[in-house]
Amino acid sequence: MSKDLKFLVVDDFSTMRRIIKNLLHDLGYPNVEEADDGKTALPMLQAGGFDFLITDWNMPGMPGLDLIKAVRADGKLAKMPVLMLTAEAKREQIIEAAQAGVNGYVIKPFTAETLKEKLDKILGPGK
Amino acid sequence: MSNFAILKLEYSACVEALNEALRTEDEKAFFAAVDHIVHMREPGMFGELRKLTGDLQKALERFSIESKLADIAENEIPDARMRLNHVISMTDEAAHHTLDLVEQSGPLAERSAKAAATLIDMVNAYRAQSTGLQGFEGVARSIDAYVPVVRAVEAFLPTVRADSETIRRNLSEVLLAQGYQDLTGQIIRSVMKLVEELESALTDLSRLSGDVVEHASMGENAGHGPVVPGVTKGEIASGQTDVDALLSGLGM
Repeated sequence: MSKDLKFLVVDDFSTMRRIIKNLLHDLGYPNVEEADDGKTALPMLQAGGFDFLITDWNMPGMPGLDLIKAVRADGKLAKMPVLMLTAEAKREQIIEAAQAGVNGYVIKPFTAETLKEKLDKILGPGK
Repeated sequence: MSNFAILKLEYSACVEALNEALRTEDEKAFFAAVDHIVHMREPGMFGELRKLTGDLQKALERFSIESKLADIAENEIPDARMRLNHVISMTDEAAHHTLDLVEQSGPLAERSAKAAATLIDMVNAYRAQSTGLQGFEGVARSIDAYVPVVRAVEAFLPTVRADSETIRRNLSEVLLAQGYQDLTGQIIRSVMKLVEELESALTDLSRLSGDVVEHASMGENAGHGPVVPGVTKGEIASGQTDVDALLSGLGM
């Protein structure tokens, strides 16, 4: 496992996907794929091979919260670690995301340290 | 009391006033009495006329607001949409250009750092090797050991110079790429002005119709977008620390 983990980064802005991809690369995770919303991401996840999902909330088509609910409802994906990386900062939304089953919640704008810290926390030591 | 008796009671005073005006040849009193009788005969008519005039005035006002709204909808909204799309493409372009330059510069800086580290190791090794060497043979061995260091320095310097120049150039370009903020800011301001016009026309219209303008609602899980100070309502997490505290309170 460890650095061979395969990530799926879901965000409707290609620049944000690129930033996250670069940061993951710097953190030693070179295996990253991208999707621009939940509708595109879900079939990719269902096709298998991914170990970690990082998703935005506010996206056209299928929002991140619906994607997380679909992931948690899918027997094969239910246990996949999910980090929500979003500009949504209302307390009720953070609680809603926690109830939907996210493993971590990072608000934009974020720092490389925050991302690293959350990944380490979710993946556990030595991953 | 019969209907006619009621009429008689209502009108007799007026008829008397009319008779009195005729008798005294008082024109002013005569017309006042006639007006009074007409008002009594058609009590609703004047109210209706007033209402009609008011309605006509409102209709004219509404027509003027609606033509303004039609103009905004037909010309200015598509125009604003195009402007905002342009803002998205400008920011997209600037961000990708910046990312290209950062991605290009990173490996160059890394290469210089690695080459410098190798040189430092070589110099340290040379120092260790040449310490204590004495006599002619010692000097000769010291020179022999120094040659590869000099060659490495010779190879290192032009590469570092070229890489540093490229990095410097890339940084200047990153700086220039930030110009998008000014340009997009101006476009967004012009769209804000249009939104203000639209808001005032809609408020006028809703005042005329007496309707409450309801905000269109998005899908329930769609999200609200970034927090805009002064616009976003409700309890907002002030930063990542606040989010972490909230989640840890939930047992995460």
